[in-house]
Amino acid sequence: MIYKAIVADDEKELRSYLKTLLAEVWPELEICGEAANGNDALALVVSLHPQIVFLDIKMPALSGLEVASRINSDCHIVFVTAYDQYAVDAFEREAVDYLVKPITKMRLVQTITRLKKKLQAASLLPSNLTEIITHVLANLQTQAKTEFLHWIKTQQKDATRLIPVEAIDYFQAEDKYTLVMTAEGESLIKKSINELAQELDPQQFWQIHRATIVNVSRIENVSRSFTGRGIMKLKKRSESLTVSRNYLHLFKRM
Amino acid sequence: MEQFTTRTIKVGYIKPVTMSERIRDIFTNRFVLKCYLYTIVISTFIAAFFSITKPEISFPVYFCVSLSYGFIYSSIIMFLIWSIKPDRIINLIWLYLVGICLGVLIGYQAKILILQYVFSVVTTKTVQDFFVEIANGFVFGGGIGYFINSQAILRRRAKDIEEERIKRLTTEKESLAANLKLLQAQIEPHFLFNTLSNILSLIDTEPTKGKTMLVDLTKYLRTSLSRTLSETTILNQEIEMIKAYLNIHKIRMSDRLRFTIDISDALRQQQFPPMLLQPLVENAVKHGLEPKVEGGEIVIKAFEENSRLRIEVRDTGLGFSDYNKTGIGIINVRERIVMLYGEKGRLIIAENEPHGVSAIIEVPLHDL
Repeated sequence: MIYKAIVADDEKELRSYLKTLLAEVWPELEICGEAANGNDALALVVSLHPQIVFLDIKMPALSGLEVASRINSDCHIVFVTAYDQYAVDAFEREAVDYLVKPITKMRLVQTITRLKKKLQAASLLPSNLTEIITHVLANLQTQAKTEFLHWIKTQQKDATRLIPVEAIDYFQAEDKYTLVMTAEGESLIKKSINELAQELDPQQFWQIHRATIVNVSRIENVSRSFTGRGIMKLKKRSESLTVSRNYLHLFKRM
Repeated sequence: MEQFTTRTIKVGYIKPVTMSERIRDIFTNRFVLKCYLYTIVISTFIAAFFSITKPEISFPVYFCVSLSYGFIYSSIIMFLIWSIKPDRIINLIWLYLVGICLGVLIGYQAKILILQYVFSVVTTKTVQDFFVEIANGFVFGGGIGYFINSQAILRRRAKDIEEERIKRLTTEKESLAANLKLLQAQIEPHFLFNTLSNILSLIDTEPTKGKTMLVDLTKYLRTSLSRTLSETTILNQEIEMIKAYLNIHKIRMSDRLRFTIDISDALRQQQFPPMLLQPLVENAVKHGLEPKVEGGEIVIKAFEENSRLRIEVRDTGLGFSDYNKTGIGIINVRERIVMLYGEKGRLIIAENEPHGVSAIIEVPLHDL
């Protein structure tokens, strides 16, 4: 039986390189299609029903992992990655086939031997592969998700700007919107204070009031007012902010 | 590391210290006790001096009298300074004089009372006596004042040294961190391995193209590795390196990447810090064009504006949608601009019309 395979990689040279290598170590294999991005790869799998898919992880549109999680048909997937320690660890753990770039002939022979064995045993796609992939994907995404907000997208006059959070003195709620205060001026964003409180790094930004989140590094001092609330002065700013009682514990003496 | 962070926070709170704050600082229980101890020593000396020059009255009498004098003086002066906390030297001197006058008035009465009731010695009040008392007062007041002042100076020195130390530690830490980040920012393993794969594949099919790519990679690696620690280079070097970097990507992405670099020869000779522009280009490729199916264009331009050097890296990529992932590279650029130029330099990240990102570095042109 002649097996069919698809090679998906956004780099033309690397596709042809893998094809040359495959022709050397497994001449009977028919490369029935090539894809330069995730969408094309998925379309090819659906239309050509290959038994084997070589998927680069980093591709435009859909990543290799995303493509894999959407493949329903019965095929063996070999992931290809240049450098992604997390993914490689995950594959190793879950016993998924993978190749690292630059692909060496020796490593490819290993993979092919394993593939042939699986194919000859007529073993079907491991039923839990989709599950495994979703698992790997979820893992990788949580890794990405713990990242805090680095940039605030604002509208200034007619241009959209990205402001790095380090440049922000404080956020002040203004009806449904939020005012972003920087040394250079102020701008409105649509995110609410509560959303921001979730997404900003709590080491760097403290909520000091229902309507205020302040950049810790800009605090000059905090004093107590007669009413029991705190009054906060910021560096290089004339206005002072109110620290409500609920948040005063942040400024207790160490 | 932990220590460093707490110190940095502390530095943030240091303000110029006013005199009244300094006074508040030095008035501790220990200080007051020391002051009284000093008073006892001075009193002993004075009593000894008088019992030698005027032996008709015994030492214990002199000692008792001078001791009571001393306590009254030091208490009054300390109380006045502590309660009023003058904020200027001239006010401190006035307080001193008031303290001494009060001390003389009260002390003189106390002396008469002690002599009369404790030692049954009756004294007559003479004008001459009164001047002697005032002279005594100044001796005492001067002693106590000198003591307070020397303590204050000592404290201040200790504090200055501590502040200096904190400052030094902070700057050391900052420059260390900046260097570290510079190192981190340099070579992305993904890029390196992908490039090597490409070269490997080109060796067989198109050896000349493979050679060019290898030369470009070498150029990129050499410049990005060797200049890490040098403060500035000329812009041209940075541009040459970026060109090598983009050439490599050009082979990888073929017609999905187009780029133009438009910078005059004069501006290319300008001094410019290494690895400041490269992260912007890397970003444009990695988060703008690479993830975009049809690719796009990068334009790098530099111009002079109000004696500032303005370098723009514009791409037609995916825009802000992929931007929050960029993280460290660009943030480092911003931090380094702030560190190198303070408020004179800046990084602007804006949306490019109709799509993509435009990143602009502005630095002062002549004092680099």
